[in-house]
Amino acid sequence: MNRKSKKKFAVFAGTGCRACEKAILDIHYQVHSLSPWTDIVFWPYVLGSRWEDLDDDVGIDVCFFIGAIRTSEERKAARRLREKAGILVACGACAAYGGLPGLDNLSYAECGRVESEPEDSDLIPSVPSIESRVSSLSQIVAVDFVIPGCPPTQNLLWAAMQALICGPESLTKLSYTVARLPENISRAITAGILPPNGSVFAGEKAVCASCSRLKEEKKFKTVIRPYQKYEESGRCLLEQGLVCLGISTREGCGGICTAVGQPCRGCFGKPEGVYDPGAKMVSAISSTFESESAQEIETMVDAFEDLTGTFYRYTLPSQCSLMSKPQEE
Amino acid sequence: MSAFEPKIITFLCNWCSYVAADAAGVSRFMQQTNVRVIRVFCSGMVDPSYVIKAFDGGADGVLVGGCFPGDCHYISGNIKAMRRAPLLAKLLNELGVEKERFRLEWIAASDSALYARVVNEMCDTIRRLGPFTMRRKAG
Amino acid sequence: MTKRLTIESIRWQEEPAKVTIFRNGDKTDIFFQITSAKNIQGMCRGRPVEELPRIMPVIAPAHHLAAARVLDSLFNVEPPPMALNMRAGLLQAQYTTSHLRKLYFLLSHWVCPFEDFRAAERRHRHMKSVHRMLHDIMHHLALAQEAEVIIGGRNDHPLSAVAGGVSRFLKEGLYERLAEIAESCVLFAPRLGEFFRTEMFNDGKAMDEFRAVEIHPMAMITLAGAEKSIVLKGVTGKETDSFPVARAFEKIGLHTEGWTHMPFAYVMEKGWKGLQAEQTGSLCFVGPLARLNGGEPLTSPMAEKERRHLIEMLGPFPHFGVVAAYGALLVELIQAAEYMKELFVQEKLTGPSIRIIPSEMNRSGCAAIESPEGLIFHEYKVNGRGVVENVRVMDAATANNALRCVIVQKVVSDAMTEGLDLSAIKSRVEISLLPF
Repeated sequence: MNRKSKKKFAVFAGTGCRACEKAILDIHYQVHSLSPWTDIVFWPYVLGSRWEDLDDDVGIDVCFFIGAIRTSEERKAARRLREKAGILVACGACAAYGGLPGLDNLSYAECGRVESEPEDSDLIPSVPSIESRVSSLSQIVAVDFVIPGCPPTQNLLWAAMQALICGPESLTKLSYTVARLPENISRAITAGILPPNGSVFAGEKAVCASCSRLKEEKKFKTVIRPYQKYEESGRCLLEQGLVCLGISTREGCGGICTAVGQPCRGCFGKPEGVYDPGAKMVSAISSTFESESAQEIETMVDAFEDLTGTFYRYTLPSQCSLMSKPQEE
Repeated sequence: MSAFEPKIITFLCNWCSYVAADAAGVSRFMQQTNVRVIRVFCSGMVDPSYVIKAFDGGADGVLVGGCFPGDCHYISGNIKAMRRAPLLAKLLNELGVEKERFRLEWIAASDSALYARVVNEMCDTIRRLGPFTMRRKAG
Repeated sequence: MTKRLTIESIRWQEEPAKVTIFRNGDKTDIFFQITSAKNIQGMCRGRPVEELPRIMPVIAPAHHLAAARVLDSLFNVEPPPMALNMRAGLLQAQYTTSHLRKLYFLLSHWVCPFEDFRAAERRHRHMKSVHRMLHDIMHHLALAQEAEVIIGGRNDHPLSAVAGGVSRFLKEGLYERLAEIAESCVLFAPRLGEFFRTEMFNDGKAMDEFRAVEIHPMAMITLAGAEKSIVLKGVTGKETDSFPVARAFEKIGLHTEGWTHMPFAYVMEKGWKGLQAEQTGSLCFVGPLARLNGGEPLTSPMAEKERRHLIEMLGPFPHFGVVAAYGALLVELIQAAEYMKELFVQEKLTGPSIRIIPSEMNRSGCAAIESPEGLIFHEYKVNGRGVVENVRVMDAATANNALRCVIVQKVVSDAMTEGLDLSAIKSRVEISLLPF
């Protein structure tokens, strides 16, 4: 493996937390085994890389962009990395869909926001201005692949890195990583070619397909909030009256949250074939109401709180059809 | 600059409300022309995502017309529509769609006058409310 | 004519950060800027309050436990002992991950963490022990994360702490696994401590240039043992004030500046006096060093031993320097390992119930915990339906923002006097900021 054919790998983070970058660093502490295949040329969080390091003739083969776009600097960074990178991957729910920072699009007040100086004055430097709206990466530039999750599970991250960086010389231990991926992606990885452009490194069905809970009969009697009483043993959470977003969420995580007794909150984004996750949840929940009285149903619906913030918890900026139009330039 | 004319999408069930709409036309009831009709076989087949897609696509109002409870050609299809409507209306309201913009109405096949009245009411109300502008951000 | 220099990006920081230097003749102004903001209030307002433990980890993993504690206070429930033990175990695992990560980053200054260890060892024989140690650190990081996943469901964004307890019993075979993990950490942590003392601090001369990086003494805030009150320690390390968590935001204020997106915590009684390196009278900081600066002996024996080594090396507490801060990380690592060993036994992690179902709800709640990075406190206000109206969060990064600015000012101005180039200054800044 000579140096020339080593892929150049970059990781950049916008606004979010550092969980995705730590997830990459910690893949069963095997990230060091990537060194035969790749040179990490730009990773501000770990290597302290500067933008000058990417000057001119340094192209990037694969760039993982993490975090939502909230400031003017991050927008510029997204455009610049799109130009420089052969393959741009939206890694994590924030980059892919907007993530938790996207919830700020629902807030009414400009709370805690600093009135930043647009330019340096002679006395103090400027900070990047905060845009009026949080956006996901795909709303700013074209994205080649998506790895959803908050943070993405390590097996899917590893599968993506195998597919995109290691190419034909993919390492062993792949079988478990490709197990949950759709056929066209897993075949591409094992054959050593790039998966189809736009692929999402996750399953195609809803989380219910991999959730370990027992599904019996779906009847919503009253909605309950997670701090109220519900059985923690084995039965589907939606059936017990909790609002669980598994039905409108892409699978691939293996149902981690429901396994611990917590309802899914949709960090993998919407599955194939769903137009709008909120509409899907409305359909799923209300189709299970038993009552035939309009009055009873109104009373039951009144007990639900914060539908938008729950149904679109991680996907508000990009997958909520009625709030996702990016601003005009 | 011409005055705003709303676009209202209606999903009318084949057996009752569509017949009423047709009859309203034949009987020459005065109806405003802002309505675009989509015929469906039952109000119960109107998925909430159709309604959201309509607003996403530029509609200013959506009307779903079905048979009276008990008269559904498919027995309980309209009950399914009735079960969905409140939760959908609540979500739409949170997303900035005023409650006057989305209506579920029971319109019997013989009641073409009711159809015309509902349509005209909706057009007037929404014309007053103005165009539906999608919020890019709250506030 | 103002000359402007920028140092970016400052690596290893949880938020995107850079340093800007303005030189105007004789006058040099140095700014440590945080270049983005999450706006946690915007994310939390309007959410049902029980969702907050799943949203708060976006700040740092330990905020999950703090949020759950607030819910306990909001709903007036005290979790059963088993749940409290599980939560405490999760916190200790988070201490292990967080501190190990910082030491891993420190070592990556000298060895590339992305190289294959065996090949790197062959190539740099004189650094062999450093490569081995880096490998061991990563191994135990993975173990600590496994513990976090077992108890919390996921590692960086845990979910199992809920109002009144935890959301799920542990499965049968996992108690043994947790005990194994604790045992492995207990064996490793003192070894790590010794490695750093002998190879990095004392004999290795690796940290010599940082021995001098000390800041003017500053006040500190930590949690008192019972979790119900916060203690303000003066520059001697002794307590000067103590107040209940509910009054925290009356005592610790937030000051904003137009050149950074993160506010600064300061002691309100003293009034905001600015960020000059010599005038730290109204500033305060949190973290492992703040916790140890009281000078009290620790209850866990091996950690106490390490603390005494630190005193031998640097003198008695309080300390305000970079090397002491790294030493504090090592002491706490050992302490966390010992706590985990105590907690991860079947008797402590089993019990008849995992949570108490709330039967009432107040309109507000607050809590404070010592997170790995430092003291954090939350305060939530809800309406009658349990929907959040307002949140106030003090995270460790904001509490230490002033400290970081002061350190950067000192490091940069000293380095510029020595005539170092920008990239050397950058390394010094990064290593000096890392342990705080």
